[in-house]
Amino acid sequence: MSTVRNPVAGRVAIVGVGHTVQGELPGQSVEEIAVDAAVLAMADAGLDASDLDGLIACKSVQGGGNDVAVGQLLGVNLPYVQSLDYGTCNFSLHLAVMAVMSGMAETILLTYGANARTGKFDFGKPMYGADMASAAGLVHIAGRAGLALQRHKAIYGTTDEQFGMLAVGQRLWAQKNPGAIFQKPLTMEDYLAEPYMVEPLRRSDVTMISDGGVAVVVTTAERAKDMPHQPVYVSGISEYAGVRGEHNPENLMRPWLRDSASAIWASTGLRPADVDALYIQDPTALWSLQMLEYYGFCGIGEGGPFLAERHTFPGGDLPLNTHGGQLSDSYTWGWMHVVEAIRQLRGDAGERQLDSPKIGMYCSSHGFVKAAASVLSTDSSVGR
Amino acid sequence: MTDLSPVDDPVAGRFFEAVKAGKLAVQRCDSCEALRWPPLPGCPECRSRATTWVEVAPSGTIWSFVVYHRAFQSALAAQIPYTVAMIQLDDGPYMIGRLTRDGNPPVVGARTHAEFVDVDGVPAVHWKIV
Repeated sequence: MSTVRNPVAGRVAIVGVGHTVQGELPGQSVEEIAVDAAVLAMADAGLDASDLDGLIACKSVQGGGNDVAVGQLLGVNLPYVQSLDYGTCNFSLHLAVMAVMSGMAETILLTYGANARTGKFDFGKPMYGADMASAAGLVHIAGRAGLALQRHKAIYGTTDEQFGMLAVGQRLWAQKNPGAIFQKPLTMEDYLAEPYMVEPLRRSDVTMISDGGVAVVVTTAERAKDMPHQPVYVSGISEYAGVRGEHNPENLMRPWLRDSASAIWASTGLRPADVDALYIQDPTALWSLQMLEYYGFCGIGEGGPFLAERHTFPGGDLPLNTHGGQLSDSYTWGWMHVVEAIRQLRGDAGERQLDSPKIGMYCSSHGFVKAAASVLSTDSSVGR
Repeated sequence: MTDLSPVDDPVAGRFFEAVKAGKLAVQRCDSCEALRWPPLPGCPECRSRATTWVEVAPSGTIWSFVVYHRAFQSALAAQIPYTVAMIQLDDGPYMIGRLTRDGNPPVVGARTHAEFVDVDGVPAVHWKIV
């Protein structure tokens, strides 16, 4: 039996994306928000709910949004339905690829809705109850991210100004995106003048919190050919989980991100220089620093000088989060990163449109425990 | 149990009992003798459930630290700014703890010593740079 290096390459395509206004949606449940996005995603794909045979509902960070709750509002019974209790869209997308390739479903809707802003979700409350970290006052994701950044600064000499290139660069991209929530100019001087929030992190290094929904429709490569838009194929997927989750350097520095990275480069046969548009889910800018290094866009420990060279800025050779990411566009746990990747690959990104990108990559993680990456392309042969 | 400190937890509670007695303690697997932190109901190295709490040296090195200038929980508001460090214990495990700021500014690699305190009735370990 011959082994197929990358059985997913070009087999499944994203054919529809939709999202609500990102900002404040007071008084709406996460399921209402998710289904509003779903209606737009199905319309984008030229489908209606009766054309679906799968639903993968991502639970909201604050609870709700699971498959049976979304299903009630969607109003269809389906052959394949599942909930995921972690977000970022990558995990939902990967499960959808597996469901399509197994034959359990052909056309699947992925949903996510959040009302964490107007719902005033308490991000400082220990998510799984009081533990030995919260006992010391280590609460909110900025705590662990700050520990990792402080260590990075100490051992590699990374400076505030180098790290701040992420927040400043994301704002430059957001200023080209009419939908981005934070548009006010942010110069390096402005950034450095900000007080620390959780030192060494400043406010601009940490995600905003907004309400909003996103939905994505995937189907087989064969069906995708009949859809209204240029299909964007899933060229490769990878994950790796650091579920031991101890209070130690492995938990904070996440060397296991490299395992997700080596898996996707090995299966697709691609290398970092092949990526035309890079998306990194960024609840704090530390995610981008770590993933730029571990996915091989620069050397380990070299993220600071690499950022200072402005590769990730508008006009640079490694456009990063061209919508502004979680630091400047919106929260949505990374889902808008995928929407933006699809827009760029379709050529629908307006003022910030890149020059004919063919390969996009999206890297994300669920907190400090689970990593995922996807390569997306307009060319179904990429990754084979 | 407070909102932030698992003092009454059936597993972790033993740590706080030791702190009250002025001792730093972690779990040691009876089977493979691995020290583990944070507390767990079983050993992740060998899957044995047989465990003994053992005293470890109350000293270690700052692996990293953060300074909170914002309180993300109301219970922490009066303590702002406060410093949290991850300490590599001389006996091996890493422990997240509060760092006392009454002298030298923290720096990665600094030597620290544990002090056992009572914060509003809750036993706690505070690390001091030596």
